[in-house]
Amino acid sequence: MNEGLSVLAIIVGIAHSGIRLATPYLYAAIGETFSQRSGVLNLGVEGIMLMGAYSGFFVVFKTGNLFLGVLAAALTGILMGLAMAFISVTLQAEQGISGIGLFMFGLGASSLLFKTTLGTVEGVKGFPELHLCLPSGYCLSDFPVLGEIFLGHSLMVYGAFALVPVSWWILNKTTWGLKIRAVGQNPQAADTLGVSVAAVRYITISIGGMLAGIAGASLSISLLNIFQENMTNGQGFIAVALVYFGSWTPFGVLAGAMLFSLINALQLWVQVLGLNIPSDVAVMLPYLLTIIVLAFPFRRALQPAALTKPFERGEN
Amino acid sequence: MQNPWLKRLQAGRIIDTLLPLVAVAGALIVGAVILFLLDKNPVEAYKAMFTGAFANKNGLADTLVKATPLLLVGLGIAIAFRGGVINIGAEGQLVVGALMTTFIGLSLGEKLPGWLVIIIALAGGALMGGIWGGIPGYLKARLNVNEILSTVMMNQIAVQVGFYLLRGPMIDPAEVAAGTNIPHSARLPKSVDLPRFVDIARALGFTERAKDLGLTGFNAELYGLFAEPTRLHTGLLIAIVMAVLVYILLWRTTIGYRIRAVGISPAASRYAGINVQRYMVLSMGLSGAFAGLAGAVEILGLHHRMFEPLSVSAGYGFSGIVAALFGKLHPLGVIPSSILFGGLLVGGDKMQRAVQIPQVLVTAVLGLVVLFVVGSEIWSRRRANRRVSTGPDELSGAAGEASS
Amino acid sequence: MKKITWLLLVLLALALVAAQCGGPAATEAPAQATEAPAQPQEAPTEAAPAPAPAEESGPFRVAIVMPSPTTDMAWGESIYDSLLRLQEETGGEANFEIAYSEGMFNVTDAAAAIRDYADSGYDLVIAHGTQYGTSLFEIAPDYPDTSFAWGTATDTGADQGLNNVFAYEARAEQGGFVNGVLAAHLTQSGVLGVVGPVEAGDAKLYIDGFVAGAKYANADITVNVSYTGSFGDTALAAEAANTHIQAGADILTGSAQQVVGAIGVAKEKGVLWMGTQADQSPLAPDIVAATQFYDWVPALRDMMEKHQSGTMGGVVYSLTLDNGGLQMLYSDNLDQNAVAAAKDTEAAIAAGSIDPFTAEAGAGAAMADEAAATLNYDFDPVRVAIIMPSSITDMAWSQSLYDSLKQIQDVVGADKLEIAYSEGMFNVTDAAAAIRDYAENGYNLVIAHGAQYGTSLFEIAPDYPDTSFAWGTTTDTGAEQGVTNVFAYEPRAEQGGYVSGVLAANLTKSGIIGVVGPVNAGDAKLHIDGFLAGVKAANPEAQVNVSFTGSFGDTALAAEAANTHIQAGADVLTGSAQQVVGAIGVAKDKGIPWMGIQSDQSPLAPDIVVATVLYDWRATLINMIKMNQSGEKGGKVLQLTLANGGQTMIYADSLPAEAVAAAKAAEAGIISGDIMVEIQ
Repeated sequence: MNEGLSVLAIIVGIAHSGIRLATPYLYAAIGETFSQRSGVLNLGVEGIMLMGAYSGFFVVFKTGNLFLGVLAAALTGILMGLAMAFISVTLQAEQGISGIGLFMFGLGASSLLFKTTLGTVEGVKGFPELHLCLPSGYCLSDFPVLGEIFLGHSLMVYGAFALVPVSWWILNKTTWGLKIRAVGQNPQAADTLGVSVAAVRYITISIGGMLAGIAGASLSISLLNIFQENMTNGQGFIAVALVYFGSWTPFGVLAGAMLFSLINALQLWVQVLGLNIPSDVAVMLPYLLTIIVLAFPFRRALQPAALTKPFERGEN
Repeated sequence: MQNPWLKRLQAGRIIDTLLPLVAVAGALIVGAVILFLLDKNPVEAYKAMFTGAFANKNGLADTLVKATPLLLVGLGIAIAFRGGVINIGAEGQLVVGALMTTFIGLSLGEKLPGWLVIIIALAGGALMGGIWGGIPGYLKARLNVNEILSTVMMNQIAVQVGFYLLRGPMIDPAEVAAGTNIPHSARLPKSVDLPRFVDIARALGFTERAKDLGLTGFNAELYGLFAEPTRLHTGLLIAIVMAVLVYILLWRTTIGYRIRAVGISPAASRYAGINVQRYMVLSMGLSGAFAGLAGAVEILGLHHRMFEPLSVSAGYGFSGIVAALFGKLHPLGVIPSSILFGGLLVGGDKMQRAVQIPQVLVTAVLGLVVLFVVGSEIWSRRRANRRVSTGPDELSGAAGEASS
Repeated sequence: MKKITWLLLVLLALALVAAQCGGPAATEAPAQATEAPAQPQEAPTEAAPAPAPAEESGPFRVAIVMPSPTTDMAWGESIYDSLLRLQEETGGEANFEIAYSEGMFNVTDAAAAIRDYADSGYDLVIAHGTQYGTSLFEIAPDYPDTSFAWGTATDTGADQGLNNVFAYEARAEQGGFVNGVLAAHLTQSGVLGVVGPVEAGDAKLYIDGFVAGAKYANADITVNVSYTGSFGDTALAAEAANTHIQAGADILTGSAQQVVGAIGVAKEKGVLWMGTQADQSPLAPDIVAATQFYDWVPALRDMMEKHQSGTMGGVVYSLTLDNGGLQMLYSDNLDQNAVAAAKDTEAAIAAGSIDPFTAEAGAGAAMADEAAATLNYDFDPVRVAIIMPSSITDMAWSQSLYDSLKQIQDVVGADKLEIAYSEGMFNVTDAAAAIRDYAENGYNLVIAHGAQYGTSLFEIAPDYPDTSFAWGTTTDTGAEQGVTNVFAYEPRAEQGGYVSGVLAANLTKSGIIGVVGPVNAGDAKLHIDGFLAGVKAANPEAQVNVSFTGSFGDTALAAEAANTHIQAGADVLTGSAQQVVGAIGVAKDKGIPWMGIQSDQSPLAPDIVVATVLYDWRATLINMIKMNQSGEKGGKVLQLTLANGGQTMIYADSLPAEAVAAAKAAEAGIISGDIMVEIQ
C-alpha cells in the first residue's frame, strides 16, 4: 500500500503530527509542573482544559478575535486554578479528590455551557498555520524536511514549545523558582525563612490553571477549531502522567510529551500504511511503549517531597 | 486494641456526620441556582433525586447495585493508598477482571457445577485484576516507574485489549452467525449467575409480594427490595464481606501492618527489615485484585456477558477513588460512603430524567458536591486535632501503630 | 466484629447454595419473576378504564436512553432529531412527549434509566445502544404494557419469550457503499482516508461498506482506514485526518461523534468529507460532499402506531436506502457525473442488484462510468474508422478521440469493435481518399475528425448510404444538401474553457494570464472564448493575453509564445491543439501552472498541469454506433458537454481549495444552466 510515499515523507509526516499532538500536553503538563513543584497535585487539569477550550472557543465564536479567545481561556483557567488553590491550600483538602471534583465540575459545566449557549457543534476560524512564504511564492514550510516538520504550525504550537525553556528558566534560575521548589520540597523550612507557602502555592496553581485553560484553547481554537463536549477525552490525565514521566522538569515533560505524541502519530501512520496490525493494537502502542521506555533504568525521580501534603503552619 | 479512627468516630460522631451533609447541601444549593436559571424547579428536581435513590425498591436496588462495584474498587483504592501507592488504574483492572470472569464462565460454565464456576470465575477475575495492578506495582518497585503514569497507560491498554477480544476471539458466535457482529460475548450460562436477592428470598420461602402481606409505604418498598424482583444481587454481600476482610487484613494481620508501615514511611520500614519493594507490589496487586473482583461481580451479578467497555475517564475507576476517600480510606468507612455516593449518582440520573435537564448538569453538581465535601473536612480535622493528639490525619493513627 | 463477619459469610454461603440447589430452582425463579408481575399489573389496568382510551386521550410518551449526547452530530443526534421531527408531525408536545437521558455510557445507569422510564408510564422506551440489550431483556418482561426498542440490533428477544421489544438497525453499509462509489469518482489522488472509532457495530458496517464501494468503483483505489480506539477522542480523530491527508488522501470519511475533529481538519485543508448518521454539513458546508442521513421517523412512527394498536413489540426495523430510512444528501457543487454514478449505485442497492458485502472490486468501474454518460456497450460488432489531421499521440484533439475509442474497445473486445485510423491527414485530398476507402471497405462508421474535411465528406457520403459518417467540429449534418447519413459532433469547448477561466482567474497572482492558441477557429476558438468569459466572470480585473500561432503543429512557435506570455507577466497559461506541448515544456521549466484541454496533458508535466478539460467521446461514439445499427445512419448533431459527461474536469491536488471550489461552482452552474457561456 502507498508505495508512492517515501520513508522520508512518512518520517516528516510523523514528526509534523507529533509536534501538533504534543501541543496541548505541553501546555497542560508544564502548568501542572509548576503546581506539583510547589507541592500540589492538581488532578483537575482535564476539567480546566475543557473549561478553557469552551471559553476560548466561545469568545472567538462571538468576536472572531483569537487573542481575546486565548485571554478568556487563560482567565477561566486562572479562576479554576484559584478554586483548586482555595480548596487544597486554604482548606487543606485531600488533593487527589479535590482534583477529581474539579474535573467533574469542569466536564459538566463546560458541556452545560455548550448546550445552553451554542447547542450544536460549530466551527470557527482559529489560529492559522504559519507557512512563512517569501514574496516569490516559495514557502519556507515547503523547505525539505526541516521546513516541512518545524514550519507550517500555528502560533499556539510555537507558544507551547517556547514555554519549555521559559519555564525551565523560571524554575531554575529565578528567585521565584527557588521559592517554588523550596515550598514543594520543605514547606516548613520555607515558611521559617519567610516565604509564604500559601501565596506561592496559590500562584503556581493559578499558573497551572492558566496553562491548562490555554491547553484547552489550543485544541478548540488552533488545532481543531471546534468545541465538542468532553473533547479533551482524557488528555488532562495523560498530561498529569507526563509530569511524572518528566521528573518534574520542563525538558523532561517535553521529552515525554514528544515521545508519547510521536508514537501516537506513528500508530496513525501504521494504520494508514495498511500494515497488517489490528487497529486496537495500533491504538495501544503509545501507551505500551511509554511504559516500556520508562522501564529502562533512569535516575531516581526527584519527586517534590511535600507533594500532595497540605501545609499548615505550626504543624510538626 | 484502641483504634484512633473508631475513637474519633465515636467522639465527634454527630458533627462529623453532619458536616458532610451540610457540605452536600451547600453544593446542592449552588446546583439549585443553576436549575433555577435553566427554568427548572429545584425542589421538584431534588425531590426526584432523593426519592429516585432511596425511597422505593428499584431506587434502593439501583443505589446498592451501583454501590457494589464502588465499594470493591474503593477497597482496592484504600489498600493502595494505605500502602503508599496511588492506583488510578482501577478502571483497567476492572475491565480485565471482567474479561477473565467472562472467559472462565463461558469455558467452564457448562462443565462444572454452578457454585464452583462462580468461585473460580470470581477468583480468576480478581487474579487478573491483581496481575494488571501488580505490573505497575512491580514497575514502581523494581524500575522506579511512577505508578500514576503507568496505571493511566494500563487503563487504555486494557480497554483496547477488551475491544480486540470482543470483536474477535470472544465475540458471541450467535452474533457472527446472524451477521450482526455486535461486539459482546455470549451470555454466560444461567447456572453461573450470582443469585439475586429475590431468588434467595424465594428459596427461603418469601414468595408473597408486599401487597399480599398488606405492607404499605416504605415498608413495602423495603420488603420489595429483598423479596420482589429487582436487580439487587448477592454481589453486594460479597463486597461487604470483602470490606470486613480488608479491615481484618489491614488492622489485624502482620501483612496489613507492614503494608501500612510501608505507606507511612518506606525508609523507616526498610530499617525495620520490611521488604519494601515486595509490599509495594503487594499493595498494588491487592488493589488491582479488588478492582478485578468488582469487574467479576458486575459480570456475574448484573450483566451476565461482557460487552464493549466504553469509557475510561469517568467510570468506576474515579468514582471508586471518590468513594474510598469519602470513606476516609477505611474499609468499613467505604461501605456507607460508597452507598451514599452510589445514591448520589443514581439520584442524579433520576433527577435528570424527572425534570429533563442535561445529564452534564448532574455531573457538574456532583463535582461541586465532591469539592464541597472535601473542602469542608478541614473543620472536622481541626476538631480532631484538638481532640486527639496523634495528628491531623488518620494515617497518623497507623503511624502510631507502626512505630509501636 | 467476628460474629458479623461470620454472619455475612453464612449469608454468602447461603447465596451460593441457593444458586446451586437451583439448577431447576434458579431457572424457575426467574420464570416466576417474569410472570408474577404480569398479573398484578394487568389487574389495575382492567379495573381502571380500559387502556385504549387512556392512550388516545394522553400524549404518546417516548423516552430514549443513549450513550452519547443529543448534540453529537452522529449516532445520538440522528435519532433525537428524528424524534423531534415526529413530535412536530404529530402536533407538538401535547400529543408527543419526549424524555431523554444522554451520556449513558455506563450500562448500569442506563438500565436504571430504562426501568425508571418504564415505571413512570412511558409508552415507548428506546435503548439506543447495542450494549443495553442484556439489561433491556431483563427489564422488559416487568412492563408488558410498555413498548421497548433496542438498536442497533435485530433481536427482539422473541426466543426468550419477549413480545414488547422492537429492534432496529441501520444498514449503514449501504450508504457507506454509495459514499465509497462517490468518493472513488471524486478523488483525484486515488487515496481515500477513513477515521473510525472502534472496529465494531454501526461504524464498522459503514466503513466496510465504504471500502467495498470505493473498490467496487475502482479496484485500484487505496482506502486507508484508521481507528482511534475511542468514540470521543476528537483530537486524535483530527490528527488521524491529518495523517490521511499527508498520506495523499483527498477525500475523508468517518463515523461517531469524534469525527467533528476530523471534519475541522478537512475543512481547513479543503478536503472533501463524506458524512454518516447525522447531517454534518452545518459544520462545514463547503466540504461535506455527501451524507448518509439516518431518518428514524418512519420506524419510530410505526412503533408508535403499532403500540397504539396493541402490538407491543416483536418487529425488527432496518433503515435501508430502499425504505427511505437511509437517505443520501449530496452537496450541490459536486461533479454531476460522480453524483449520477452514486445515485445509480443507490438505486442498484435499493433494488437489490448490488450487495455491498459481496460486490466485486472493480466491477463497478465500467458500470459507474456508464452511469456517468449512460454508457451501454450493448451493440453488435462494428467497424469504425477515423481520419484525423494530427497524430493519435498529439496529447490533444486527435488523441482524445482515439483514446475514447480504445477505451470502448477495451470493454467490448477487439472482435466486437474493429478500429482503423489514418493520422496526420492534414492534406484534405488525402483525407478524402481515406474516407472513401474506409467506406468502400465496409466500415460501418467513418469519422472525419476535422472541420476541414466537410466538403469532401458531403461528396462521398451519398455514395455509401449504408455507412454512417461523422464530422466534427460542426453542427452541420448536410441535411440541407440532402445528405442523410452524416452525424455532426461538437464539443462545447466554451464550457470547459469557462471553468478553466474561472480557475485561472482564481490562481493568478499577477493578474495576467497567457493563452497559446492555434488558429482562431473551431474548437480552439470556442475554448478560448469560453476561457475569456470565465476569467472575466471570476475576476474582471484580470488580463488575458491571447496569442495564436496560426498553425496546429508549430511546437516551437507555441513554446516561444509561452515564453513571451511569461515575460509579459503571465503566471497562468493555457492553450489548445497539439502544438501546445511546446508551451507546456516552457511552462514546466518556469514552473508556471498550465491548464490543459482535450486530452490529459499531465503526464507531460505532472507538477504544473493543474487542470484539464478532458474530452470523453465514448458516449458520443456509442450513440453513433447504436443509431447506425438501428437504421438511423445520420442526421443528428451530438454535443459533448459538462452535463452529459462529454467533458470532464480534472484538477490537480496541489490547487488551492478555494480556486477549485470556485471552478466546481462554475461547473455546477453550467450544468444546471445557471451560467450561460457567451461566445463572440
